[in-house]
Amino acid sequence: MNDAGPVSVPEPSSRPGSARAGSLFERLREDPNPVWMRELKQAARLQRTPIILAVVTGMMTLLICSVGGVASTTSEPAKVGVGIFHTFFSLAYAVVTWLGPAVAANTIAGERSGRTWEALQLTGLSPRSIARGKFLAAFTYISLYIVMLVPVGALPFLFGGVTASEVLIAFALLFVLAALSVAFGLSVSAKFASPAAAIIVTLLVALPVSLLVYGGAGVGLSYAAHDQWPGVPGGPPVWLPTAYVRADFGLPYFAFLLFLPVVATLVPAWLFYEVTVANMGAESDDRSTRLRVWFACALPALTVSALLVTWVTHAVDWVYAAGSLLWAFGCFGAFLFAGEPLAPSQRVLTRWREQRVSAFRRSFGPGILPASALLAVLVWLGLACSAGLGAINAKTGAERDAVLAFHGYGMAFFGFVVGFTAWARARANNSHTPRVLLTAALFAACVGPWIAMAVAGLITNHHDRAMLMASPSPTFAATMAQSISSSAADASLVATTGSACAAAWALIGLGLFAAAGLKVRARVALDAAARAKLQRAFDEEEAAQRAAPEPALGEV
Amino acid sequence: MSAALPAIRVRHLWHRFGTMDVLRDVSFEVGQGEIFGFIGPNGAGKTTTIRIMATLLEPLSGKVEIDGIDVALAPERVRRLIGYMPDHAGVYERITIREFLEFFAAAYAVPDRAVVGAVIELTELGKLQHRLVAELSKGMKQRLQIARILLHDPKVLVLDEPASDLDPRARIEVRDLLLELKDLGKTIFLSSHILTELSDICTSVGILERGSLVVSGPISEIAERLAARNAPPGADGKREPPTPQSPFLPGNEAGPVHNAERAQTAGGALVPGAARKRLRLRVIGDARSIAPLIEGGGGVLGVEAGLAGQLTVHYVGDERFVAEVVRHLVSRGVGIVGVEPERNELERIFLEVTRGDLQ
Repeated sequence: MNDAGPVSVPEPSSRPGSARAGSLFERLREDPNPVWMRELKQAARLQRTPIILAVVTGMMTLLICSVGGVASTTSEPAKVGVGIFHTFFSLAYAVVTWLGPAVAANTIAGERSGRTWEALQLTGLSPRSIARGKFLAAFTYISLYIVMLVPVGALPFLFGGVTASEVLIAFALLFVLAALSVAFGLSVSAKFASPAAAIIVTLLVALPVSLLVYGGAGVGLSYAAHDQWPGVPGGPPVWLPTAYVRADFGLPYFAFLLFLPVVATLVPAWLFYEVTVANMGAESDDRSTRLRVWFACALPALTVSALLVTWVTHAVDWVYAAGSLLWAFGCFGAFLFAGEPLAPSQRVLTRWREQRVSAFRRSFGPGILPASALLAVLVWLGLACSAGLGAINAKTGAERDAVLAFHGYGMAFFGFVVGFTAWARARANNSHTPRVLLTAALFAACVGPWIAMAVAGLITNHHDRAMLMASPSPTFAATMAQSISSSAADASLVATTGSACAAAWALIGLGLFAAAGLKVRARVALDAAARAKLQRAFDEEEAAQRAAPEPALGEV
Repeated sequence: MSAALPAIRVRHLWHRFGTMDVLRDVSFEVGQGEIFGFIGPNGAGKTTTIRIMATLLEPLSGKVEIDGIDVALAPERVRRLIGYMPDHAGVYERITIREFLEFFAAAYAVPDRAVVGAVIELTELGKLQHRLVAELSKGMKQRLQIARILLHDPKVLVLDEPASDLDPRARIEVRDLLLELKDLGKTIFLSSHILTELSDICTSVGILERGSLVVSGPISEIAERLAARNAPPGADGKREPPTPQSPFLPGNEAGPVHNAERAQTAGGALVPGAARKRLRLRVIGDARSIAPLIEGGGGVLGVEAGLAGQLTVHYVGDERFVAEVVRHLVSRGVGIVGVEPERNELERIFLEVTRGDLQ
């Protein structure tokens, strides 16, 4: 019927990693991403670029020299060097985390507003290729700033107190942060048609998040690092490069300085990439599989991270933090998959048929029911692992019961979250409504019972009994665990009430999931019937045309 | 097998934005190698139809096939077959023409980059190839867009308002380029609301109004059908029934005649305004004294005498009428120095089949 054959499925590469890396480098050199190359050519002709670079570098140099000059009058040179090191990299952090997302936010939205997006789309370049080109372009641009700042970053050497390795590692981390920031900006840019809107949204998120990360992961974690490795100073924000150099190698080093940073970088970076690609696709495209694969890898990675921390610290309290983290990540997954289509589109089904996609791979494809099922299974498994490790680490039977009760409630309530998400999506005609409903339901479930408890406590004056009014809230799991582990007098009553509520949430979730299944099947059947009717009409029309003596003038 | 397929086939296409139906049951076909003009006022749904054809928009219902491939099911394959130039398409300003085309050639994964040179030559951009795109005129940018969509050698070119905002010279250049591309075997689908621009080059047209296709087919065939429909009733007082191949929508065979001033032939038959034609003559001598020689003739609706020997004849008929008037005047010893028959049949068709309401 047509000349173009079915799209072939690329064979999985069986070459060793080094060969693949070599090939990738060769491809980058021989046949670089065309979007990247074009963006570089355009950027090279932008007259303001060198001016901005010069101004930023000049200002930074003046600032660092001023700080160093002032500090050197009162402090010894080594301390001045350390001060300059932290000042410089704090400022560079700000430049990278604010400028990076802003620059990236302009890229895809800029193509849309400049009316070049359609031409680019129609070239047949895959959204992945476009996303990579755009990422490389924005990353190269931000990297230019970092490279220009290298001489300024070397100033601490004049004073001492900081080793060359620390400075090099700090710069390497700066590049990693730049990559993350650019990836985030790109994911926002892919959603918007206006660069101004994309930049505003990006900065509204990037500014508070970067400050939170600076305060939390910078200043906050430096104290924890100091406790673990006394050679690492507590308080200064740029502690990670120092820790890499000064900490003793062992399990904590591997866990906190290698495994966790890698997971903390790769999980969001991969998500931003997949979101960027998904936002560039059409509604009928398969925008689910890769996001689902991301989730299926990210959740186990987070589970292992959480368990590793628990294992290394031997503290049972970490189990609660790990369980809470996994539960929160599961809820994020629910928000993400609330936008899933009800079922695969005809386009996706056709492609699956042509490419002979296996049933396993199809289960990762579009569809709210398989998405919900995967979400529930992975989160339940993660929570079960966390509960298991907590139970092993528990010193007393009460502690073990508390850990199991906490995770049990979490699993049961997550069953409700998944069922509700599927039900809301099955009834909605768009992807926004289920997300709004899920937010409202989570807020009501978490906060509502505590308000009821407060009111009941005021009315009855029996605060202990009134506490039970809060048992439907998932946060009651913490109260329940505390009550059980401390063997409080009403522990049995609290545990019974909490368990009853957890069971109720699980049953409601199961019911909602079943209702979602019925609704989805009904809607899919309706759609199939409409399609079949249209196809019959086409067939009849074609038959009539074949029977007609002459072709009609104007197919009307 | 592919040769028998229409290049473009649109079947029962519906689309809706919000609660507004922008396309209603639109169906038409474009044969291989044709230049198809898609005509309609602003807001009629032309761009929506085109965006669906170009795989940029998913239809609410119906089917669009390019060379037999469903645009909704296999957009990637369709993209290899079409070259789409949107209305007011943007360009990358800070690269040269050659760099611009080299970028798109790489993006299209064109195996032989020599094609860039060939396309530059075809579109006559050679002298400007090292100039920045930002420095080009609108006409040159439009030419560059056409060059862009030729890089991957598509079978079908889809052009949305290709000559809008262009000056007369640039329009003529674009028109000539399209004719050249037709000769190269391309099927060209172009939309416009400038009828004169289409009538010169299109082999067939489709007229869209308020989201519905009013008529489609070769211009001459549509004109014949309209003429048959508008023909005066026969001796038995009955009008010729519409043929089975009527281009009009079901239930609309009688065809509403809009914007039509009505006039009468010498025989007293009513003639819709859109069926009237005009012939301009330049004669030697006083036009006012020559006008009576034509007035009252068969098919003549009226004659206007102007200055400098200008005569305008309003008539109903075909080219034989023009020849007959010229022969008649020459036989009466009138010197004719110019004959300009009304040539834009498309304008007449458009006026006759559309309502012209604000859309």
